[in-house]
Order: sequence, then C-alpha cells, then structure tokens
Amino acid sequence: MRIDDTHKKWLIASLAIFVVATAIYIPYAMASPHGPSGASALGLTFGIVGFAFMVFAGFLGARKRFPLWRIGRAQTWMRGHLWLGLLALPLIFYHGGFRFGGPLTSALMILLIIVVASGVFGAALQHYLPTVMTAEVPLETIFEQIENVQGQLLDEADQIVGRVTALVSPLATAVPARVAIVTEEVAAITETDIAPLRMFYEREMRPFLEKPGERKHSLADPAQARAMFEGLRTLLPPQIHESVSDLSEICEEERELRRQVRLHHLLHDWLLLHIPLSLALLVLAAVHIVMALRY
Amino acid sequence: MPRAKRTTKQIAQRIDLNYFKRPNRWRTWRFVLSLLLPCLAVLWLAAYGLARNNRIYSSGKMSRAHAVLTEQCASCHLSSAASFRASASDQACLSCHDGPIHHADQVFTPTCSSCHVEHRGQLRLAATAVESCTQCHSNLHTTGGSVPYVQHISDFSSGGHPEFAALRPGFRDPGTIKLNHAIHMKAGLLGPNGARVQLDCDDCHRADSGNQNWRFTGATMQEISAAATSSGPTMTAQNYGPPSRSSARAYMQPVTYAKHCAGCHPLPFDKRFAESVPHDTPEVVHAFVVKRFQDYIAAHPGELREAASTISLPTRPLPISPRVYGSQREWVNARVAEAEELLWRKTCAQCHLLLFAPGADLPKVAKSNITVRWFQHAVFDHEAHRAWTCTSCHSKTTSSQETADVLVPGIRTCETCHHEGAEGAEARCFECHTYHDWSRAKTTKGKVHFSSALQIGRGPASY
Amino acid sequence: MSAPGTVDLTIDERKVSVPQGTTVFDAARLHGIAIPTLCHQQNETPVGVCRVCVVEAGGRVLTASCVRQAENGMTVNTSSEKVRAARRTLVELLMSDHPSPCARQQHTGDCELETLARQMGVEQPRFPHRSSGRPKDDSSPSIAVDFDACILCDRCIRGCSEIRHNDVLGRMGKGGAAGIAFDANLPMGNSSCVSCGECMVSCPTGALTNKVTTGTDLTKSSDSQPVTVEELEQLGVFKGVSGTFLSLNRGAIVRRKFRRGDVICREGEYGSTAFYILEGKVRVSISSPIAHVKTGGGATGFLSKLTSALARRQEDERDEETDQRFIPIDAPVDLAYENPVGELGPGDLFGEMTCMSLYPRSATVRAETDCTMLEMLRNVLDIMQRNKNFRAQLDRSYRQRALDSHLRSIPVFAALPNDFLADLRDRVELVRCAPGEVICRQGEIASDFYLVRIGFVKVSQEHPGGEMVLAYLSRGDYFGEIGLLEGDVRIATCTALDHVELVRISGEDFGNMVERFPEVRRKLEAVEQERLQQNRQRLTLTQSLPLDSFLARGLMEAQSLLLLDLERCTRCDACVRACADAHDGVTRLVRDGLRFDRYLVATSCRQCRDPLCMVGCPVGAIRRRNSLEVIIEDWCIGCGLCAKNCPYGNINLHPFEVMVDDPEHPGRKKAGVSRKATSCDLCADHAEPSCVYACPHDAAHRVDPTKFFAGILGTSPAGMQKR
Repeated sequence: MRIDDTHKKWLIASLAIFVVATAIYIPYAMASPHGPSGASALGLTFGIVGFAFMVFAGFLGARKRFPLWRIGRAQTWMRGHLWLGLLALPLIFYHGGFRFGGPLTSALMILLIIVVASGVFGAALQHYLPTVMTAEVPLETIFEQIENVQGQLLDEADQIVGRVTALVSPLATAVPARVAIVTEEVAAITETDIAPLRMFYEREMRPFLEKPGERKHSLADPAQARAMFEGLRTLLPPQIHESVSDLSEICEEERELRRQVRLHHLLHDWLLLHIPLSLALLVLAAVHIVMALRY
Repeated sequence: MPRAKRTTKQIAQRIDLNYFKRPNRWRTWRFVLSLLLPCLAVLWLAAYGLARNNRIYSSGKMSRAHAVLTEQCASCHLSSAASFRASASDQACLSCHDGPIHHADQVFTPTCSSCHVEHRGQLRLAATAVESCTQCHSNLHTTGGSVPYVQHISDFSSGGHPEFAALRPGFRDPGTIKLNHAIHMKAGLLGPNGARVQLDCDDCHRADSGNQNWRFTGATMQEISAAATSSGPTMTAQNYGPPSRSSARAYMQPVTYAKHCAGCHPLPFDKRFAESVPHDTPEVVHAFVVKRFQDYIAAHPGELREAASTISLPTRPLPISPRVYGSQREWVNARVAEAEELLWRKTCAQCHLLLFAPGADLPKVAKSNITVRWFQHAVFDHEAHRAWTCTSCHSKTTSSQETADVLVPGIRTCETCHHEGAEGAEARCFECHTYHDWSRAKTTKGKVHFSSALQIGRGPASY
Repeated sequence: MSAPGTVDLTIDERKVSVPQGTTVFDAARLHGIAIPTLCHQQNETPVGVCRVCVVEAGGRVLTASCVRQAENGMTVNTSSEKVRAARRTLVELLMSDHPSPCARQQHTGDCELETLARQMGVEQPRFPHRSSGRPKDDSSPSIAVDFDACILCDRCIRGCSEIRHNDVLGRMGKGGAAGIAFDANLPMGNSSCVSCGECMVSCPTGALTNKVTTGTDLTKSSDSQPVTVEELEQLGVFKGVSGTFLSLNRGAIVRRKFRRGDVICREGEYGSTAFYILEGKVRVSISSPIAHVKTGGGATGFLSKLTSALARRQEDERDEETDQRFIPIDAPVDLAYENPVGELGPGDLFGEMTCMSLYPRSATVRAETDCTMLEMLRNVLDIMQRNKNFRAQLDRSYRQRALDSHLRSIPVFAALPNDFLADLRDRVELVRCAPGEVICRQGEIASDFYLVRIGFVKVSQEHPGGEMVLAYLSRGDYFGEIGLLEGDVRIATCTALDHVELVRISGEDFGNMVERFPEVRRKLEAVEQERLQQNRQRLTLTQSLPLDSFLARGLMEAQSLLLLDLERCTRCDACVRACADAHDGVTRLVRDGLRFDRYLVATSCRQCRDPLCMVGCPVGAIRRRNSLEVIIEDWCIGCGLCAKNCPYGNINLHPFEVMVDDPEHPGRKKAGVSRKATSCDLCADHAEPSCVYACPHDAAHRVDPTKFFAGILGTSPAGMQKR
C-alpha cells in the first residue's frame, strides 16, 4: 500500500489521538505518587485502549479470510491496521509508564516493539517495492507459478531448438549456408551449421533453465548473456538468428523470474516474523490482562 | 521477445487455476510459525505454571528486603476461593510486620501497599513518596474536627513545610541551665589546672554514649561512669525511631556536669578545702558541706578563733572583725552559712536557677529542663551528618549569648542539602518522619521456618 | 440442322445434342461418358490446367474437354490411343513428384491422382522424385498442408474464392517454383483462412487433408461400410443429388451400424460429421449434470477442497438463471430443462452444426435399438441441404417437433392458445442464410420476425464509436420484434455468422397475432421498452468519447477491464481469493496478462463489445445479461469452445468427477469426468466486484477503459508506453 494523500485523514486522526493521549499522560505521570502505573485508572485506560488497537490490528488476518463479508472494505481495515497498530505502541508505553516491569511484561514490551518495528519496516517495503518490481521485472508472473512457468520456458526452448534442428535439410549439399546465395529461397542448413547452437544450448542454456536455484551462472548476468548470444549469432547462419533471439529472450525472462523471486521474498518474508510474533503478543497480552487484574 | 509474441491468452494459460489453493512454502511457513510461536509462548507460561512458580507475572523486581520471596507470590498475594482478585492485602503484610496506626483520629487509614509500593525494583520499601503523606497532610482533617497541627504541608521546602517547632517565633529554650555559648567558644578560656584552652563543640556534645576521653573532664573514670548511670536516661535513637533505624550515634548524649562541666567549673565551697561539693541536690550539698566542716573543726579545733577575714562577701562586706566561736557547732554553722552563701548565690547560681522559698532553709534548684530531643516529631541522626562541622548547621552557636537561644538549625539549614532534585539529599517525608507510631508496635514473632519458605518450586508451604 | 440453342456433336461415335455453351466434358458426362479429370470440379469454373481431360476433337493438338465448348459437328474421341497415351504420361509425370501414398490415400484411399494412376497402371513412375522444398504446414488447426502432394490443380483456389469468397488461396512463384500460398505465403494457420474446409474438400489429393476431426477415417473404422451411389440414390432424401458428386465423394459418406447401447457420439467431443438415421431409434441426452460449479467451505482455509463440486438449481439457486425451458441442441428436437432426454428415429438428421461449422457435439447420442445410419462429411451434407427433397423433410421434422417448443419458449408467445400456434406453425417459412449474409439491417423498414433454428446470428449496432455487438443468438433465440411493434425501422443489424436457418414469421401474421391477443402486445411492449432503454444507455455512453485507435491490443474492445495498479499491488492474492470465495471456490481472474502503462490487465472477462465467446456454443449456454455480464447456464456441457474462442483466455474449464451411466453395465453408474466453463460475472449480486472490494491496497479497479484512459488519451497519446 502506498502511503499517499489518501491516508491524510488517518494521519490527522492518529496524530490527534497521540496528542490527546500525551496531554493526558504527562500530568498524570507527574502527579502519580509512585510514578505512573498500569494499575491506576488512567493506566488501565491506556492499557485497554492500546489492547483494543492491538486486537483490531490482529483481526486483519481474520478479515482477509472472509473477504466478502460486508464489515468494512479491506482497504479501510488495512489503513486502520497501520495507524491504530502504530498508535498501540505509545499507548502501551503510557500504560506501563515507560517501565518494562517483570518477566511477562518485559516480554510483552519487547514483542510489541519488535512487532511494531517490523510492521513499520513492512509498510515501508510495501510502499517502495511494488514500484521497484514493476520497473525491474516487466516479465513478472504469479509467484507461486514461477516454477511452472520456468518449466514451460524450458519446454519452449527445447521446442525452438527442435525446430531449428528440423530445419536441417537431409538432402542439402555440403555448401555452407554462409556462402551468400542471393535468392528468395531458403538456403539449406547443415548439421555443422547449427552445431554451435546445439553445444551452447546443451552446455550453457539448458542447465541454466533447469536449475533455477543456482545463482552463479554466466547467463545469470545480463551483460554476459548478451555477449554470449552476440557471439553465438556470428557463428550461426542468418536464417536461425530469429531463433537465437527467441532463446536470448527466454534467458532474459528466466533472469527476470529469478529476480522476481528475490524481490517477492523481500516483500513478503518480513511477515513471517511479524505475524507469528503478533499472535504470540496477543496471547501473552491476554494472559497478562488476566493475571494483572488478579494480582 | 517470445513473451511479446505471446497473447494475453497464452500468458494466462500458463497459470494453473488452482494455484492459490495449493499449499505453498511461504504460506506453510506462515502457518507453522503462527502456530509455533504462540505455542512456545504458552509453553513458556505453562512451564512456570507446572512448576507452580508465578514469578513471571511479577510486575517488576522486588525490593531488597522481599527479594527472597520473589517466587513465593502467595506470601503477599493471598488468594481466596471467594474472589478472583489476589492483590497484596494488609493482612498479608501484617503477618510479618507490624505497622501501627499513625494517629487515632486520622480520617482514613491507607493500605500498606498504597504507600509501600512493591515491584518497583530494588529499592527501600520504607522510602515512600511524599504524596503518601501529603494525601492527608496537604489538607489535614481529623475525625475530631480539630487540627492541632499545621494544616497544609506539601513537601520539604520553606514554602511547603512549616518551620521547625523549636524555631518558631516565640519559642524559647526551656532549659534553666544558664549557658552562654559565645563565651564558651572563645579562645583562651581558663581550663583545668590553670591552662588556657579553646573549647570545641565535641568537648561537651557527643553522640556516642561510650566512655571516651573527654578532654577537659575533671572527673575520674569512676566518677564518670557513676555519673553516667545517675544522670538520667541514656539517649538512644531506639526510643524514638523505627526499629530499623538503630543508629546508636543519632543523638547527642545529654550534657552532664560530671563529664562536660566539672573540668572547668569546679564547685569550691571553702578555701580550706580543695575539693568541690558534689553536684547534687542542695540537701546533699548541705550535708556534705556540714560534714566537711565538722570534720575539719574536729581536726582543727584551733580554728575556732577566727582571724580577720579577707574574703568579702556580698552579704558580709569587709571589714570583718575577728571573732571567737563558742562551739564547734557554731563554727560549723557559720562556716556552712558562708559556704552556702557562696554556693547558693554564686557558684550554683552561675548555672542553675535557684528558687528561694520564703522560710525555707535551702533553695530549690529549678529543673534543668534541658531538652533531650528538640524534634519531637522527626528523627535526626548526627552520625549521618558527621562529615559536616557542627557550626555548619548550628551556625548561631558562636554568637549565642542567651540561654534561651535555640541553637537547633531551622528548616532552611536543612534545605541546603535536603531538597528535591537529583542533586539534593533525600527530601522526602520518610527521611525524618515516620507514619507508624512505633511506640505502639507489637513485637512480631516469626512464624515461617526459613527452609520451608524458601524452597523454590517445591513444597506447598508458600501456597 | 440443330435446334436453335443446341449443338450437335459426335462423342465416341455417338451423336449427341447439347445446349449451346456446354463444354465437351459436360456433353460427355450428360451422356454417360466419364472423362477423367483432376483439376475440374463440377461446382467450380473449369480452368483446364491439368490436361488430364484432354480429348481428341479434331484439332492439331488434344483439347481440354473441361474448357472446350462443344461446337456443331465436332467429333470427339475420348479414349483414342493418343489420348490414353497422353493421359498416362501426364499422370505418370504427376505421380513422379507425388509422395505416394499421400495422406489422403492413406486415410481414405481416394486420392484422385493415385486412383487414376492405378487405373492407368502408372503407379511406379520412371522419373525421379523432386520435392517441392516446402515443409509440411501444420499451422492450421483443422487442415494439414502437404505441398509435396499438391498437383497445382487450383481447385482449392477456386473453392476458396468462388464458392466461399474467402480469397485466401492463390498462386505464387513461377515455373518449377510455382505453388499455392495462403495470403502472402503465410502459414495457413496465420493467414486469414477461416477453416471452412472448402479447399480441403476440393483438393483431389492429399495436399489438403483434414487433421483434427476424429472420425474422418470414415471408411477406416471397423463398423463403417462404404455405401455405393446406387444405394444412396435409392433413399428418398438423396433424390436430386448429383450422382457424379456422390461418386466423387465416395469416401465422404458411409453407412454405420450400431448395436443397442452403443454410444454414437458424446457431448463436447469435436467432430466433423453428421448422422442420418436409416433405421432404429436413438436416445439424445445431456449427460453432463445440469448444475453449476460450487465448493463448500470457500476458497481458502484449512479444510478447503482443491477441486470444485456441482450444485443443482434446487440446491443453490442463482439469481441470474434464465427462465428458458428448453436446452437447444444440434438435433431436430430440443431437450426439456427438467428432463434433458429426447428421442430420434428414422429420417432424422443430427450433428448438422458439428458437421457444417465444426462445433463440438451438443449432446450424447446412444442407440436405443440396433441402428443403421449414414455418417457424412460436410461436403455431402452441404449438397444435401441444397437438395429440395431433403430440405422438405427437414422442414417437416422441425415444424412437428421443435417449432412448437421454440415458439412457446418465447415469453410473449407462451400464453397463446394451441390452435393459434398450430395455425402459425404452418404459415412460417424456413429460410436459409449463407455465412455473412445480412438478414436485416439497422435502419431498414421492419417487416418480419425471426426465430433461429440452427446456426449463429450476430446482432450488432452501428454508432459513432464503432460497431458494437449486442448479442450472438443461437438456436431457439428470436429477433426482430421491436421493429415490428414500432412499425418502424430496425434498431440493429442481424448477420448470419455461419450456416443459419431461420423461421420467418411475416409481419402481417405477426400483426394479426398481436391484434388478436392484446396481452401479447403488452408483453412485447414491455420487452421493447427494456431494450430501448438499454439501447439509449449504451448510445449515450459511447457517443460521449471517441474510440481511439491507439489502444490496440483489444483494450478498446472491452467494456470493462480489471486493472491492477502494479505500483500498489503487493502481489498478495487477496483479489483472487475473494473472487474464488464469491464463486464457490473457482477463481474467475488470473493475476497475469499484458501490461498497459503501470497497470496489469488481469485476465478476467472484459465484457467485450463483440463477445466472441458466445459464438458457437452448441447448447446456447453462454449469454449476456443486461448487456454486460456474461453468465454460463447450468447445462454447459464443457466442450470448451467458448474458452477457445475467447482471445484473452478469460474463460476456464473445470473438471470434476461425476457418476455417469456405465455403458457396459446398463443401470449402473461409474465415475467419469465432466467439465464446466466459468467466467467473470462482475459479481452482479454484490454491490461491487469482490476483487475490488477485497484488495487491501486499493490496487484493483474495474474500469471502463474509454473513461479510465481518457486522461492518458487526451494528454499525450504518443507518450504512452507501448510494448
């Protein structure tokens, strides 16, 4: 989600809440005999509001499970998640009077800080990365299907090479195609003509396509790949240059898909920290509420 | 580009339509971690729970005194079947401590934990906040309605705290022993054995009750110890402060004649005798004097004939004609009269206030009324302040000439160091005052055996 | 002296008289003398390129009888030694370059060249083989091209130009490099060829053979027996069909016998033949469950299923269902919605649409008794349909069995009394239209009301923005009533897309009906109001913005695009999951496709102005609602034609298991696989499309491209990124 002008209302509302909360907190903190405490009336209020924000933020995942329920658009929930989740941090600090307390409460504060920090980090990623992806990976496809598509690229490449092989005319004389025959006819292509292509394909390109996990490959570098294909073109008769171009573009697509995998991981892997920790946070927070009220 | 040769249809048909329903690595990881981490959290809680150890629910470090009870939550948090709440109740505190009430007529009694806040780290529980006191004292009311005290106290500052009672206008030192500090602090005083001395504060005033060398004492050790036991109650802090504050050197020991005055101020009564009269009641002194003269005249019968006296007494100015005494008794009487004249009018009267009732033979000495403890409602410890010179606080001493001068420092002197802020000494109420009336404290007898109470994780004793 | 307008000549010592202008070949043929030909076909202009038909006609050289007109007093010898020798040499020369046995010879054994060669004994030519040098062209989906087998007879060219007017084929090259070419020598599949098959049907050799359709091995399959011309001519329906034609097309019609319980054809399969029942009864049914796709448990979740299931209308009612009561199929009867089973008997023809236009089979046909039927290819059926007797039989059958239900299915006619309908039934006319023929034009005075019996009719409107297709009508649909009511002009143009047969009700009869039954008029007027309203809305919309030709790539073809703003999209799949949730676990959108500017044009129904998906549905299950949303009815048989037709891949088929009747054990069921098609319906029963609603990042938008891109179009069209 891009954080742009459409967030203005939320930003203003959040700032207002923050300012009001601070304005309440400061006199309260100064007036408390033994410092602000989570158990005091205001401390409890901060705690309840902060927890409510955290729970709402936590419900985003549940909201996404029922996308059709008319309980507010996904967008609204997402913005609420961002802003109210962010507000939960200062509110809980106000709740605890900036103290970390005992083992459980310290764990909660640390979890909260990590969750909010990872959330802010993730929001920044979601602000910048889509544009980066759009610009850098024009041939992007659906992430879960990348292996599938890579397999299809391999098949396509095989087919292209197969077609080129099929062009080899069995009855052609051993006149090298490079010798200029200015006719409209297709000059016969021999086996030796396409041998460089064959060799290149078997040694370089096919392994490149077969093992998408392997990073270090000469074709993985665009400049190098370009040079290799240029070189290849000089070795091959002009009739199959188009096939060579096709192969070159398949390599380009493969490179882009690999790039997409990395960008996708960058864009999404932070959630693997954020979500589980936030769930743990909510669980522990619930326990804390019960126990703190008890004791 | 082959991709550019592909149509939308060809691009779309590469995709398997059920891809989003199939488990994919990322979602699996998300699911697993989302179960795992909360489970770990719960396991963490459960581990402690199974060990019946509630220490993780503590909201902060315990004070030093209670730190050993960190895992024995039930020592303070008594749980009952009736109620969900198990906050630390007064009843729990009172099972080990006594905290006598402050005043019988206080409007409300705060709970122990409202002032002594636990779980705030390794600090002293007794160090309560100013607000614990000012919750009543900032606007004092009593159940009886009358407020015998200053009604508005907010903190320890000249604005918020009344001047010490002893220094309020109109208050005079009730002591009847005449003392001019200024003279005594002068240099070149006539000391024992005729030497010229400069007195120091601690030549008369010491907090120690032990028998250390007094510089100018004239008494022997025996006399000192005898005097010590007979000169009134020993001043210790125990009687006036909480049991924890048991500094034996808090208060200045009372000034006694034997230790502190006798060296320079002997009590001669007659030139025939070198010794002083005992520092005692007039009756004792009279008996002593009589005895001495009797013994003397018995030993020197020739003295009955009296030469011309060269002593000029106010009641018997010179010239004095010689006379002969008829009997020893007469002589003794005359001598005793002279001696007592000296004593009652000069020697004793130099310090004491003597009351001559009409018709009485002997005067009455007014009670010395030396204030034992100037701050009735506050505790002070000289030992804690031993770094400073006496005159840092008792600054008026060198210029004090009146006995009635109160030389105890006022609030401003204390405020020099004891003020709020990071660079001030402790200025909260508890530093000098106590809430609990320790004179009514009951001794508590411990009920819990050490080894069973501190079994960590085992035994139901703490639960 | 010959009679005026006739010519007298002698052919093989027989005196014959023929009308002036008759060619020698025809003159001989008319009198039973068969002259072998290769490049001549009866329905094409003779060109005389093969020279196999040469005869001696008294000149210095042998003359090609197919082009030579008969003259008075001509003496023709069709089988002199010279002629025979010439023919032999010709055929031998042709054979030397022929890759015998060619494809046709292999499949149907009736390569005309090789047949001739065999007859003349020149199967082993003396001359060395020379290849044309052009590889086989497999690009066309239905026709295989083998240039080596081409004898340059030009029959295909003439078939394509003269008969079909498609003008795809032509000659190229000179001398030894001469050959036939599609357009400017493009591969056949990439050319403007419409796979009508005329060239293939015309080709005498295996140069153009049918490759996709199963069952072309008509004579090869075990239970098919070739049928002789004589046998055919004895059947009443073949009266009037050219015997020559039949003999030339001997491989194109066979007799088949089926035993009781045999499946003759299955719904959804592709085919290219029609069946004419001689004996026996067959059962026509739709075995695909009459249900739509559904999943329990939504799209995601721990326990969601990976495959979809089906829900019948009783279990899950959909708002947008049609209230049509019959399912139109490619047979003389229609199947009732509740019980889709029908029966056909002797004299019935089924599989017309499959045969003529290569649409998939619309129903499953199983023999109820032992049957004998004729299976024929398109060229034969085509001729049959031109034949008067056959047509009369078809008409009769249709009027008796299907017309009623068709008329009843039109809502306005539903309440009419039976006798009125009976009367109407006899007065309607059955009209045949050729592909591309305009039935009625926008702006013309309205005069008739039409009902479609078979084929597809395109209903379109011209307005300032361009042409917009309102609907594709198929069997059972009707059009033309608005013009009749208004007494005004047509508001749309109706064009036949393929071989269309219509039921025409004259304006006068229509008027009578409307007068006698005022409630019909009222109903019609209601329908008319609705349609006019929709028309007006559409017109105002398209008039306000010029359609800009810059947006090629078919984007302007769309009325609604699903755009994903790639600079906001985090590729989280929430849209896909929401779509699947709203549609019983089956997503109607795919997050991949072409890009435009910073948007990804998602693969989801574009509600095209010209909905190509609707063309060809054999059971008329895909239709438009309120001019935008496309819905697919429950009786979709899963043939996949709509999915194939959609150029953007927006329609998908979903397979799932069903229990079908086990043919080997009647009465029992076994597991089979059925398919259903699905497509985006703009979530018409929700307030807004679910994908748009569910996107957390405000990245998904359903937009009208003309409005949405108007800004870009207006400012700098040249600045748009083009890929």
